[in-house]
Amino acid sequence: MSNHVENTGTTVFDQEYLPYIIKWGRATNLLGILLSLGPGLICTFVFGLRPGLGAIMAGFVMQASVSGVFWFVEPISYFPVLGVPGTYMSFLSGNIGNLRLPASVAAQEAANVQPGTEKGTIIATIGVAVSIAVNIIILTIGVILGSSVLSQLPANVIAALNNILPALFGAMLAQQFVANPKIGSVAVVLAGGMIGLNKLKLLSFLPGNPAYAIIIVAVFGSIYIGRYMHNKSTADNKPSADKTVSK
Amino acid sequence: MDYLAIANSPLMWISCGLCVGLVLLQSALFVQRSFSVGKKMEITDAQFKSAIKSSFTASLGPSLAILAGMVSLLVAMGGPVSWFRLSYIGSVAYELMAAGFGAKAVGVTLGGPDMNATAFACGIWTMTLGSIGWVLFTALATPKLDKFRHVLAGGKKAALPIISAGAMCGAFAYLSLDRVFRFDKQTTAAIVGFAVMAAFMIYNKKHQKQWIKEWAFTISMFVGMFVSVMI
Repeated sequence: MSNHVENTGTTVFDQEYLPYIIKWGRATNLLGILLSLGPGLICTFVFGLRPGLGAIMAGFVMQASVSGVFWFVEPISYFPVLGVPGTYMSFLSGNIGNLRLPASVAAQEAANVQPGTEKGTIIATIGVAVSIAVNIIILTIGVILGSSVLSQLPANVIAALNNILPALFGAMLAQQFVANPKIGSVAVVLAGGMIGLNKLKLLSFLPGNPAYAIIIVAVFGSIYIGRYMHNKSTADNKPSADKTVSK
Repeated sequence: MDYLAIANSPLMWISCGLCVGLVLLQSALFVQRSFSVGKKMEITDAQFKSAIKSSFTASLGPSLAILAGMVSLLVAMGGPVSWFRLSYIGSVAYELMAAGFGAKAVGVTLGGPDMNATAFACGIWTMTLGSIGWVLFTALATPKLDKFRHVLAGGKKAALPIISAGAMCGAFAYLSLDRVFRFDKQTTAAIVGFAVMAAFMIYNKKHQKQWIKEWAFTISMFVGMFVSVMI
């Protein structure tokens, strides 16, 4: 049955959806790069603030040495969750791990669609868009209130807000873990092992902050071993094959 | 002239507003197409509604956390730039780091007593140039990433959910264990968030309650936060 649904979806999705998303996604992201230069250009050429090319390059090189590898690692690693539209949107709007990923997963869970499928991609797009709207509305309120009001927030409220993300990440892992216990266990061992190695300074031979190595091993190790276990269980015993991904 | 007068000038608001507007425009285009094609693919209104409800509630907590982190950026870089940078590409940690590097490149401490207009401008340039890589890579390579995903799945459409499941498990194992291994209040928050959500998921395997699917993340998130603060 699922094959039938995928097949009917293929025509509409592949013909009316993906080409449109790719055309506009590429155009808006490229336009985004141009527009993002605006504030800097205005400072330098309208207000005459000239740090000098040397200083700008120095700042860029410092930042690129930290972020450069993530320009590639993050889109590649998060793509299977976000899908084509979600990837364009998430990397234009930022706040990926802490906002876009959770929102897309929450949307797919609530709509009972499987991540990675065509319906999953469409629902993930809605989730990412909702998170963008919520984020921009709250930031706009924040910027209107201004720093004088925001800095009045009691210290314990700030401390509490800092603990929201770890709790959300734990919940996200639990959802994945219960849905796919085998792949989840593999992921926990891989991520835990790599973080442990990093704490013991055993990853210090890698250049820069080795977080990118942890992400790559955790994501692609889980994909690789998950696929291996799936293929094996499909070969061993047909009916159990679907259990690995059943929700 | 105080650099914050430049930072908060109408021209900066307009330029930053264009960027925020573009993010919204892209979302609007994609959402409109997702609804129209989704309906043809027999995604029901109820499914769309559930998706909106749950991603809305799940976004509130993280967005408030971003707001809390915005204060330090607002003080150093002014309203328009903070508003634009946090709606666009970066996260609080990235933007503060980039603004800091930019200021350092002209020999100034971000937000320090010697903070000046030149450091402000260099900070903006560093934030902007340092983040172009993400947008440029995804603008050009996203269709290739889709092909790569099909290669990973061995060309079988039925295997694509396995690839997504692996990626999600890996990503959230990294994100949450990174907090667990800090051995402070964040550890408690992550473990409690995990436990509450796991209980919801196991209960719902049998009962399949829709409200749990929509609210479980948000409830787990806030319970984790409250418990971590109280212990």
